[in-house]
Amino acid sequence: MSRFAAHFLRGIDETMLRVGIDVGGTFTDLFGWDLSAAPGEQVREAKVLSTPADPSIGVMQALEAAGIDPKDIDTIVHGTTIATNALIERRYPEPALITTRGFRDVIEIGRQRRRHLYDPYQVKTRPLIDRSRRFGVTERMDAQGNTVTPIDREESLRVIREIADLGITNIAVAFINAYRDGRHEQEMKQLILEVIPDAQIALSSETRPKMRELGRFTTTVIRAALLPAVSEYIERLEQKLAAAGSTAPLYIVKSNGGMMRGETAKERPEELIESGPAGGVAAGSYLSELLDAPSLIITDVGGTSFEASLMEDGVGLITDEYEIEWERPIITPMLDIRSIGAGGGSIAWIDDGGSLRVGPQSAGADPGPACYGRGGTKPTVTDANLVLGRIDPTLGGKFDLDLDAATEAMMSIAEALGMSVHDCAEGITEIVSENMASAIRMVSTDRGRDPRDHTLVAFGGAGGLHAHTIAQSVGINAVLVPRFAGVACAFGATTMDIRHDLEATFYSESGEVDADALNTAFALLEEQVSDLLTKDGVAAERATLERSAQMRYVGQSYDVSTPVPSGTLTVDSIAEIATAFHKVHEREYGVYSESFGVAFVTLRVTGVGATEKPDPEAFTAAMHHVHEGNGGGDSIKQRRKAYFNGTHHDVEIHDVKRLSVEQIVRGPAIIEQQDGVIVLPPGAVGRADRYENVLITTEEALA
Amino acid sequence: MSATSSPVVQRKLDPVTFEVLRRSFEYASERMSQVLQKASFSPIIYDMVDYSNAIFDPNVELIGQTANCPVHIAAMQFSVQASLKRYELSTLGEGDIVLLNDPYSGGTHVPDVTLTMPVFFEGELLAVAVSRAHWTDLGGNLDTHIGGEGLRLPPSMLARGGELNHELVGIIKNNTRTPQYVEGDIQAQIGALRAGADEMLRLAGKYGADVVKQGMQEVLDYTQAMTAAAVRRIPDGVYEATDYVDSDGFSDEPLTVRVKLTVADDRIEIDLTGSDPQTVGPINSPYANTASAIYYSLKFFLNPDAPPNAGLYRQLDLVIPEGTWLNPAWPAPTIGCTTATSSKVCAAIWMALAKAIPDKAIAPTCSDANWFVVSAADPETGEVHVLTDLPAGGWGGTPYNDGMHVTMDPLGNCQNLPAETAEISFPVRYLSYEIITDSAGDGLHRGGCGVRLEVQFLGRGQMITMECSRTREGSPGVNGGGYSRRQRQMRRAVDGTLSTIGGLDDDGSWLPQMLGNIGFAPGEAFVFESAGGGGWGPAVQRPAERVAVDVRNQFVSREKASETYGVVLTDDLQVDEPATRERRSQMAS
Repeated sequence: MSRFAAHFLRGIDETMLRVGIDVGGTFTDLFGWDLSAAPGEQVREAKVLSTPADPSIGVMQALEAAGIDPKDIDTIVHGTTIATNALIERRYPEPALITTRGFRDVIEIGRQRRRHLYDPYQVKTRPLIDRSRRFGVTERMDAQGNTVTPIDREESLRVIREIADLGITNIAVAFINAYRDGRHEQEMKQLILEVIPDAQIALSSETRPKMRELGRFTTTVIRAALLPAVSEYIERLEQKLAAAGSTAPLYIVKSNGGMMRGETAKERPEELIESGPAGGVAAGSYLSELLDAPSLIITDVGGTSFEASLMEDGVGLITDEYEIEWERPIITPMLDIRSIGAGGGSIAWIDDGGSLRVGPQSAGADPGPACYGRGGTKPTVTDANLVLGRIDPTLGGKFDLDLDAATEAMMSIAEALGMSVHDCAEGITEIVSENMASAIRMVSTDRGRDPRDHTLVAFGGAGGLHAHTIAQSVGINAVLVPRFAGVACAFGATTMDIRHDLEATFYSESGEVDADALNTAFALLEEQVSDLLTKDGVAAERATLERSAQMRYVGQSYDVSTPVPSGTLTVDSIAEIATAFHKVHEREYGVYSESFGVAFVTLRVTGVGATEKPDPEAFTAAMHHVHEGNGGGDSIKQRRKAYFNGTHHDVEIHDVKRLSVEQIVRGPAIIEQQDGVIVLPPGAVGRADRYENVLITTEEALA
Repeated sequence: MSATSSPVVQRKLDPVTFEVLRRSFEYASERMSQVLQKASFSPIIYDMVDYSNAIFDPNVELIGQTANCPVHIAAMQFSVQASLKRYELSTLGEGDIVLLNDPYSGGTHVPDVTLTMPVFFEGELLAVAVSRAHWTDLGGNLDTHIGGEGLRLPPSMLARGGELNHELVGIIKNNTRTPQYVEGDIQAQIGALRAGADEMLRLAGKYGADVVKQGMQEVLDYTQAMTAAAVRRIPDGVYEATDYVDSDGFSDEPLTVRVKLTVADDRIEIDLTGSDPQTVGPINSPYANTASAIYYSLKFFLNPDAPPNAGLYRQLDLVIPEGTWLNPAWPAPTIGCTTATSSKVCAAIWMALAKAIPDKAIAPTCSDANWFVVSAADPETGEVHVLTDLPAGGWGGTPYNDGMHVTMDPLGNCQNLPAETAEISFPVRYLSYEIITDSAGDGLHRGGCGVRLEVQFLGRGQMITMECSRTREGSPGVNGGGYSRRQRQMRRAVDGTLSTIGGLDDDGSWLPQMLGNIGFAPGEAFVFESAGGGGWGPAVQRPAERVAVDVRNQFVSREKASETYGVVLTDDLQVDEPATRERRSQMAS
């Protein structure tokens, strides 16, 4: 049964107004579905400036701008970068760390590697907790969970009093081998509460009980660091919404691509690191089902960065090897979203060896590209697109871009390279597209997936500018620029399910697995995940649980996620899991070997609480202005000179809202959306579907 | 970002195609490394990242190499050339792979095993893919003869037309303490070669072989141009410095590296004449390894961002006299060359650079990988496991910042072995991996600190080999910066008492620091203290508040703050301004 069908069968009138709000660095986006409204008037959108000092202000302003009365909201889903920003800027009440004696520097040293191989002046980022707040205590457990040395209570109490004297109330406890058994950490927690009754405590055995100290310790420290700020923020937002009359549950977008209740998020703040971009992946998931396109590569072009992720069977790939900074890993399962420094603000320059480079330095918002006329003199990708005639100098009447300034900025490097301004500008767009393509390789080729089997989805107002060129660079012939590309994350938030992943270490070679112990371990995880789902308001009949195991060849230290069947596992099913592991390993790494032993390392249970989503009919109805069967011509709003493949072309500029369904637009041409521009170079062919999405392919593929 | 007035190389390719190819070559070797790391079975490969992958052009010049092991930067070229001398390219076809590790025919030290595979496009040679990885064990011990250092394989056919030579694999498995890793590591390295080949074939399919080959030539020119431009910015002159390894493990005498840099316009001559003769202990460095050390140490200051390729070699003239320990003849043992020796060549070159460009140079690092191999017997089954680890030291202070704590030496970029991985895999217990207070060289910008590593053996243990140095003196400072604390090797007895087994003891006696065949009883621990990096600039010029922060974080003790930095702190570790002024003026006079 399709994932939609499961939801559509339920009465959609249960939820009439569903609101997604994504708070980004610059803009707060809102997308709302009001199913009580007449067809064609069901979508609410808003884009307001973010209010970084207190992002909840921007949230309330977005609601106002969209004309939504908080009283009417049935569900509100919120994506926020508050956790990520607090971490990166070290803007949190600095916690204390209590760890096993001898290991208090693990979170600072990392794995001893330097980020840049040959940079003599590099430094590592400031540790998440300064050394003066990291304490070792006498205790020890072995890798089998046996106590080697019990906790020294007296010494521990001395340390805790010292922490109390520093006025610290958020504390991370992370002991060596605690992934195996958390009882020493629990004991320490009791000791802490004796001295500091209101302490907010993160234990590594509860946060992510996985082997290898650096990832577990760091993730635990991140939880302890974020506990105060995230719970305070969510509380404030809840109060503001309640004060405005809302009784709707508040959900927060998680790094794993699902959502959780605000109450749960307050306790699991380390799961918010990708709360921002995860909405885009959910939007991709919805599109995947809507358009019956199971394999997508989702991209998002911003001013300074480009993000890519890959979707298989409508589900985003997950990684547990994410680093918030160099050697600062976070080991919660997260969508594998890769980000590189390439966007509209990326600066073009000539390096010492005379090569034309683009980025990663960006002109940012201030001074911004030269064409913004705010004092920027360096040529950027946006300047290149303006010089080439690919973007409208008035941006649809919203802005006045300075073509002369852009041309002058471009001239400075064009002359040095002996190129014309236009060729140089076109080269810049090609190089930045190639850079962007490298992020696509990271999520596809590097994980054993062929990008050519996927449709590229372009989000972000500038997504459509480069989408076709990027796609060509990785051999993709199908590109989709959605109608709501400019508010994709907020849109995606309205389509999310509740999702929790919990894990437990279960190290055992597959030939020696104690099936009873394995069944018990899975049952325990399933119980814990079910509890979380129940807490988040999921009715039992809407919950589904899925098992997987992180497995490896004996002797390796990298795991691959292997599906595990539900129900009671037997010796036979364990052998089948091992067989499945070989296949997954071959896909991820290109090799496998049945002559090596296979080991289970970590068990994972993913629980999903399905929520209702607007069905395709509602979606179609909501997409107003769709023309049925209009014959071409009247979609052209103007003509403009634009430069492609070394020559000037007289190109037609189409208004996406005036395109008729399945009308073919042949490149070179440009299609303008409400918040975005779609460029069709020569050889590219675009057409709009009934949802006002634009699909791009090539003449060759069409023929 | 550089000025736009930089020299622009004459090219046939348009700037856009060139830039795309430049990035694509980089990606090809990165992709190889991803495959190798993820698919390998030896902890030293997957966890410690001790490997390099590279793409060579049809003329066997290095085009691009992954960011893993700088000490492989030139050595791989010698390996490929030796492989293709033994098996001429005209006799090789698709799926043929040559393997070698022999230090006296293209290798450097026995554990580094290099696989070479030609890549053909439409029947013509397009590129050569090369993968070098440090294998956990190929037999051998500390010895005075290369024959005792383990299995030595001259260029040998590992695969013909994709078919593995099982006899060769069998020979290797018969000569290692860790046969269980051999097939997996071979498979992973072959996977890496195939990944590199796929990328190159993709490029040839898209742009045509001629354009790809032209791109290779231009990428070499590009690195050369960046190198030449950087050399021109160094004042012409002659700059000399020395460094040394404490001993070769078989005598107590230090072994000296003597470096003379002669900078003339856009070329540098690096002359090692005057360095000590080859020695009986295993720290001799074959030419290929010494050349790598010279290239990577200069790359930091000449063209850190340029593709690591043979274009770098073109502006540098090497003089490495035969018969010295930096260019030895058979049968000198070489196992410590990649770590103990290359790092001293680098440190000497950096100290010479500090005379040429004092405002740009940085102080030497701990200058050792501190790589050790131990065996550990399971106390119940008696099964013997081999594990390796490399506790790093600190980096030197720079003109802009303090040095990094506990960071792998410039020669490589290896990860340590996590305690929890060690304890679930081997019968050992890790008892400490903690920064050592006062281990950094003091300075306006101090060095980074070193680390104390403590590994307890649950059953019988044995130190098979450990290479390190800096046990007589710490890492030197530059521009008035101080020395770091020394390195030291110790045994912790079951009752907790410590005794020195290598380096300087508290009683002033010194024991050779190259360890081999040292037994540990069950419950005893090996304890190693690494050195910090050297300091940059005079310590008395360091702002008092920064010294206070270091004391609060226990990177520097309160005593050292006063003695060396002249910063007096109150009991709550705030700067005592009047006392500090007085102390610093006393020190000045």
